[in-house]
Amino acid sequence: MWTALLDWIDSRTGIRALRAHALDEPLPPGTGWLFTTGSVVALLIGCQVLTGIGLSMYYVPSPSLAYDSLRYLMSQVPLGALMRGLHFWGASFIVVAAVVHLLRVFLTGSYKAPREVTWMTGLVLLLVILGFSLSGYLLPWDQKAYWATTVTISVAESSPVIGGVVANVLRGGDELGALTLGRWYAAHVFLLPGALIVFLVAHIALMRKHGISGPISPQAGAPVPFYPWHVAKDTLMMAAVFAALFTAALLLPAHLDEIANPADADYIPRPEWYFLSLFQLLKYFPGPLEVVATQVVPGVVVGGMFALPFLDRGPNRHPWAPSRRVFTLLFSMVGAGIVALTVMGLRDAPVRFDPNVWGPQSMAGYLTAEDGGNPCARCHVDGGPASPVQVTRISRDEGWLTFHMSDPAAIAPGAKAVDPTAEPMLDEDATRAVLAYLRRLRAGASPPEVPAASATVVKTLGTRCVACHRLDGDGGDTGPELTHIGARRDAEAIRRIVTDPNDEYGDSMMPVYGPRLDAGLIAAIGDYLAAKK
Amino acid sequence: MSTAGPLPGSHGRRNFLSRFVVAVQAAIGGAVSCVVGGAALAPSFASHTQSWQRAAALADLADGVPTPVTLRLIRQDGYRQVVDRRVVYIQRDEALGVRVLDSTCTHLGCRTRYDDASKHFVCPCHGGVYDMDGSVLDGPPPAPLRRLEARIDGTDVVVQV
Ligand code: FES
Repeated sequence: MWTALLDWIDSRTGIRALRAHALDEPLPPGTGWLFTTGSVVALLIGCQVLTGIGLSMYYVPSPSLAYDSLRYLMSQVPLGALMRGLHFWGASFIVVAAVVHLLRVFLTGSYKAPREVTWMTGLVLLLVILGFSLSGYLLPWDQKAYWATTVTISVAESSPVIGGVVANVLRGGDELGALTLGRWYAAHVFLLPGALIVFLVAHIALMRKHGISGPISPQAGAPVPFYPWHVAKDTLMMAAVFAALFTAALLLPAHLDEIANPADADYIPRPEWYFLSLFQLLKYFPGPLEVVATQVVPGVVVGGMFALPFLDRGPNRHPWAPSRRVFTLLFSMVGAGIVALTVMGLRDAPVRFDPNVWGPQSMAGYLTAEDGGNPCARCHVDGGPASPVQVTRISRDEGWLTFHMSDPAAIAPGAKAVDPTAEPMLDEDATRAVLAYLRRLRAGASPPEVPAASATVVKTLGTRCVACHRLDGDGGDTGPELTHIGARRDAEAIRRIVTDPNDEYGDSMMPVYGPRLDAGLIAAIGDYLAAKK
Repeated sequence: MSTAGPLPGSHGRRNFLSRFVVAVQAAIGGAVSCVVGGAALAPSFASHTQSWQRAAALADLADGVPTPVTLRLIRQDGYRQVVDRRVVYIQRDEALGVRVLDSTCTHLGCRTRYDDASKHFVCPCHGGVYDMDGSVLDGPPPAPLRRLEARIDGTDVVVQV
């Protein structure tokens, strides 16, 4: 019965011949573990496709929802964090696997005639994979995504002549925003997958057309059928890599920064590790020389790779054969350069963002929004006209929030004429602090613990002082950083400076706070900051 | 099999390797599918959470007369919050305590209205008529008006939504 059904299907489709064609290919004797690298890449591509489809069920490519949809996926959906972890780590694994595959093809000289085009389709695939990484990086719309993409686009902008046009096309206008996200999303889920399929099919078809290159020097013996002898090795290798990927996704959850904040120009952007070498290179070519790092060097390396099979034409495939030595040397030098630049880039990696490490600004925002008797609690209370702030997980943009905090009744901007003479509900500094607090909430932080005794001090620091000074990661750079001020000044000195900076510095830009703040509060600020060693 | 190639007599080994390949690849595929499938299906089986919400002050309710109240329900819709509005009729008297009826007609979902003269709920769409307690008196509605759990909490009426 079963055989009869199979016979029928086979007679109508020729499926057995297809299977035989796919699996029974004879491989050169001695084709061993070195030739499993391609299968690993294929496995990882398949894994990315599946997890990508899963992610796309939740992800929304819009600046106001992208971040929240991912936060929701990771914190509320069972297995959601693991699924994103697989996709996130899969991106790194795939770059490593593709480069390992490329190294193997280089070392065994497998790009030589008649496999030049196979090599070139492989290089295109590597570029497509890097394109996936680059476009996928923006999608979470967190700080890291936003600022790294800003850098990527300014790199494109630095190209001579066409730079401006290219950058505008990448951004969908002259500001990074909703339109940028839309087109990068389209690239990530439609354009690049299309290119991937075309070149992957071509790559595999060409590999089959010319057969596997096999060991460097032909070995004696009969050809080995691909299935199951070589497939078993492929499978074992795939299982090992998959186990590693799964472990990484389980143990190290994918990172999600605070939501993108275009106003925060202090954020130090950082690309994913596999672009760090380029990022580092950029540091050595300042100003007009930037094109060298952004276009010339990468262009020469990629161009050289494409040209390789036409430059290295001798039949000998041994990496140290006299005809190949120079290429092996060059290749190693480029490789060593990339590794060295990456290591240097990694060394000044910033600290990982942890939403539960609170700075004075976000703490001041917390105190403003959540403290008893605060203006927000007039409406945002259990059973009140609006849910408590901690529950609403406000997903409005900051323009709306700012507007709402200056005139809370106007929950729909434009719907109601604002009375220009009305006092704003929260002033600008307090609004900024509350925004910082809301970003923490959105990033999944739990409320900070502020000792009641220092609440007023923290509120003052987080609304006024951070306007110019940086303290525990928050604040501006107009004035000196205060994070370790206690090591330089004692409480009395700080009190004096805050009261009247001109006493200490002569003519100072800093406002005189003596008449504006209570003397007791200034003394408390002195004590608080002096303890920051 | 490094240099020798497959041996003609290696049939058993071939079979073993085939099974190995199928088993391991199925395991990898299964693992990914479980994660993706699990994450994709999970919300379909999430249970609906119920909560108590303040609906009206006792003082605002006329004795024995169903009073319309608009409930503002803040509901989590995946990653966003939406506000649903639902009109319920709250009725209170000494014998009954409180009775809260959803005003949605059980026929095709129009909003019923309480008619004080006849002391019935009437549906404007297809002539459904309900008694004060929500039971069907006339017309096409297949079931009585939905009743919400309610209790008196201090000076307020709270309902379960
Ligand atoms: S919807 Fe009410 S009677 Fe049809």
